[in-house]
Amino acid sequence: MFDKIFRLDYFQNQELLQVIILIFGILIFASTLFFVVGKIKPNANLGELKSRTRSWWVMAIVFLVATMFSNKISFIALGFLSFVAFRELYSILDFRNDDRYAVFWAYLAIPIQYYLAYIGWYGAYIIFIPVIMFLILPLRLVLRGETKGIIKSMASLHWIIMLSVFGISHLAYLLSLPELPGFDAGGRGLLLFLVFLTEINDVLQFIFGKLFGKHKIIPAISPNKTWEGFLGGIIFTTVIGYFLRFLIPLPVFEAVFVSFLIAFSGFSGDIVMSSIKRDIGVKDTSNAIPGHGGVLDRIDSLSYTAPVFFHMVYFLAY
Amino acid sequence: MKKYTLRFIYSFVLRWFLKLIVGVRFAKTDFMKELDQFIIVANHNSHLDTITLLASLPADILHKVKPIAAGDYFGKNWLTRNLSSFFINAVLIDRKGMKENPESAPIPRMISELEMGNSLILFPEGTRGEPEELKPFKRGIALVLSKKSDVPYIPAFLSGMGKNLPKGGVIPVPFNSYIRFGNPTWVASEDTRSIISKIQDDILQLRTE
Repeated sequence: MFDKIFRLDYFQNQELLQVIILIFGILIFASTLFFVVGKIKPNANLGELKSRTRSWWVMAIVFLVATMFSNKISFIALGFLSFVAFRELYSILDFRNDDRYAVFWAYLAIPIQYYLAYIGWYGAYIIFIPVIMFLILPLRLVLRGETKGIIKSMASLHWIIMLSVFGISHLAYLLSLPELPGFDAGGRGLLLFLVFLTEINDVLQFIFGKLFGKHKIIPAISPNKTWEGFLGGIIFTTVIGYFLRFLIPLPVFEAVFVSFLIAFSGFSGDIVMSSIKRDIGVKDTSNAIPGHGGVLDRIDSLSYTAPVFFHMVYFLAY
Repeated sequence: MKKYTLRFIYSFVLRWFLKLIVGVRFAKTDFMKELDQFIIVANHNSHLDTITLLASLPADILHKVKPIAAGDYFGKNWLTRNLSSFFINAVLIDRKGMKENPESAPIPRMISELEMGNSLILFPEGTRGEPEELKPFKRGIALVLSKKSDVPYIPAFLSGMGKNLPKGGVIPVPFNSYIRFGNPTWVASEDTRSIISKIQDDILQLRTE
């Protein structure tokens, strides 16, 4: 009975368990470090780092709990993540009042997309947003009869649904991939690998940038991004990917390459989102997560890494 | 019975619905428990305004806070009249024609509610305006406050509600919104015009914070 309701893979599966311990090890290390540094140097400005770390604890626990139990809960949780990200983007991009009808349809697309991922109907899942919603949403806008500014609405609406729903739903589809003989970590392993590497890459780029950052990489978009942070993040993320390759069904060379791609596309997603925020003139997309900003500020890199990682693995292993 | 129904609906069901789905960020309202009575004065762009205000209140005083609603809109027939006075806890007033119907004339009606010990929620714009715009205030609020100078007003600012569910809309389309409260303020002057402009400033102040 208990087994049927809860799939406590994390505790039965050695590989997953190791990574969970690693994650909490890092969190405990960070919290202890900031606590000790705060005691030694009381005037060091650690407020933001501490609140970021606290938010990481919450996010790590929420993520692990959401993916630990049944598949259904994982899909609902990931769908909700898409929903919140979509809502954040819709709220900061200046849509016209007439657009709300089409936007409502776009919201309805979220459960459909995640349902298609849940039942594992790959053909429908992969075209639903890029093709079907791409055709339907402009039509709904046109039916309102207001053409002033319609091209901007069509473009923005499709862009935000691609980024926040289509992109992020690749996380969910990882859980629907068929089982491979001899590969025990399964969909949860893939998901954990992707999310862990993406987030650790963000953190490493931040740390290397803070410690060694000198040469700005793209000052017009993001003045805090440096070559040192970028390269440090990419190299160490690739190395971590090499050691965690037991979570993915790929041989050594391919696993390293995929890890490198995650690091690179994570950086890309980050600066793409930064440029949008710069254009609108906001610093964060909302203030849902203390120290980080909006949900989207946290998952901007995932919206890039998820499709890249998914399609690489799908091509190489399935 | 009504007390607990309202608590369950607003402080639990609707509060979570507004938070998770509609995207409302609530503000702390514990300071209201310290006050015996107050009048919340807010901008009005959507039906969600009243619901959000009620869902913001501390649960134990919820049943004593009554939104002032238009009788000619909510009191059109027996059903909407009873539903709105039960589920919104509304006081229905007559926006027009107070001569024919003196006991539902707005000002005496509000004052008698205050004398019964209730608090009020009032939208001095009189009706829902265009999304994100503030219309000029009607002077009813100033008349009430100058007669009941022991009751403070609390300015409230709601943002994004008109985007969520504008006038004429049927279903809310989730949009990140927020509600903010200012400090309780007691009016000192008798001059309705200066009271009105003070309240208006307080509300606009919350917008820029």
